[in-house]
Amino acid sequence: MSGLGAGLAADVAADVAADVAAVVTIARKDLLQEVRSRAVTVATLFFSAVTLVMMAFAMGQDAELLRRSAPGVLWVALAFAGVITAAQSYQSDLEEGAFDQLLLYPVPRASVFLGKLLANWLFLLALGLLMTPVTLVLYGAPAGPSAWLLPVTLMLGTLGFAVVATFYAALTANLQAREALLPVLMFPVVVPVLLGAVRSSEALIGLQNTVLAGGWLQLLAAFDLVYFVACTAVFHLVVEE
Amino acid sequence: MRAVASVGVRAGVRADLRAGASEAARSPHALDRETCGGATSASATTASATSASATTAPATDRQRRGATDAALAVRLDGIAKRFGRELVLRDLRLEMAAGKIAVLKGSNGAGKTTLLRVLATRLRPTRGRGWVFGYELQRQGDEVRRRIGLVSALGGNYPVLTARENLRLAATLSGLENADLDGALAGVGLTDVADTLVRTYSSGMKKRLGLARLLLLDPPLWLMDEPYAALDENGKALLDDVLAAARGRDRTVVMASHELERSARFADAVLELAGGSLRRSGP
Repeated sequence: MSGLGAGLAADVAADVAADVAAVVTIARKDLLQEVRSRAVTVATLFFSAVTLVMMAFAMGQDAELLRRSAPGVLWVALAFAGVITAAQSYQSDLEEGAFDQLLLYPVPRASVFLGKLLANWLFLLALGLLMTPVTLVLYGAPAGPSAWLLPVTLMLGTLGFAVVATFYAALTANLQAREALLPVLMFPVVVPVLLGAVRSSEALIGLQNTVLAGGWLQLLAAFDLVYFVACTAVFHLVVEE
Repeated sequence: MRAVASVGVRAGVRADLRAGASEAARSPHALDRETCGGATSASATTASATSASATTAPATDRQRRGATDAALAVRLDGIAKRFGRELVLRDLRLEMAAGKIAVLKGSNGAGKTTLLRVLATRLRPTRGRGWVFGYELQRQGDEVRRRIGLVSALGGNYPVLTARENLRLAATLSGLENADLDGALAGVGLTDVADTLVRTYSSGMKKRLGLARLLLLDPPLWLMDEPYAALDENGKALLDDVLAAARGRDRTVVMASHELERSARFADAVLELAGGSLRRSGP
């Protein structure tokens, strides 16, 4: 019996390893495509920069207002960049039927979702890590002693956002009005994540209150977990027409 | 019914099957036995010849059905697909033994691509059930996908990857660690452009790359959507060779094509989709 159990465990381990390898392969493919085409990189960098600068100009020279609005502006820019990222991640696949082909390989549909999610998340996280110091400087917001938690906020915030965006982008990928429908459908769902991310960033940047930030981070992690499990579980229903 | 049994491909709607059929042939088991007779193996032929004894065999219904489903490459039972108000496929019934080649013909919009996408588990049927090598399309999709390969009309390639990268992706996701990428590329004449981005390819080259992927993965069931389209004469001759090789290696092929004269040369059956229904029209 123990031999049978060990054999079963080895089979399960092999299956999990194959699924993880598939996830990494799909994510690497998506990132390689982006490195070559730079379509999303150029669009999101330009859009984020314009958002940060325009909002800073709009708020004038009120230093306190600028400092307090920094977390919100940062996440608004990241959220809209995230919509572009998720929509494009499917768009390039759909052009020549490559997404159909991807779904025909003998890998679980969840692996396809997680691969695309991993690529979108890494891209958004990199964008967030680039934009955060720029925002802090542009808006004159000081990074206090608890600033080390900012990357954690970025990781959890962009993960939750990427989960919802990747899922809804798949849902709308084949629709004619996908550009309009994607934000309309996903933003009501992703509000808790954005709220948690903004509040946590605010606690770290403006209030410099680590305890308050920790509370929001726990809430953010909980939302991430719920969305991650739910979207991964039902992704197969979304891609089967 | 006679010709169907001899090639192992049978298609039609319920009414077609009943026409001229004996009472025994109307039962699912009788249909299965006859289809088994169409399979290429000698044992399957024997099974057909001894249909009377099969009726009294001690095997349970489930055992017989299981054995038959495994012997059949494709089995569709009342498949229907509706898009909005339009019923594109209606009550399709198809039984196809392993190792056979079937050509789907029909006018534009007849539902050929829809049928291929149902078989490829990309479309959920609105009604009915289907099996590929005994695995149910709707419930055992992962197992079905291990056994199919699709050459789509669009090519199915990533434009900003090279041909070699496209094939490597396919091999990795199919669990083929040491796949012969160079051999597959050479087989379709793409060696010289193996490391060029696919977005610079012509339509015919993209179609060749789709063929290379199919040859690389070499699944038991090949689904081909207009494989001759966009190919030049050399490409078409290449595809002829591929289909001839498929027959030699007992691969099952379901191919939608408007090039009937060419594709019918390899076909065990030509199936016509019209008005959402499937019927056999040759050879």
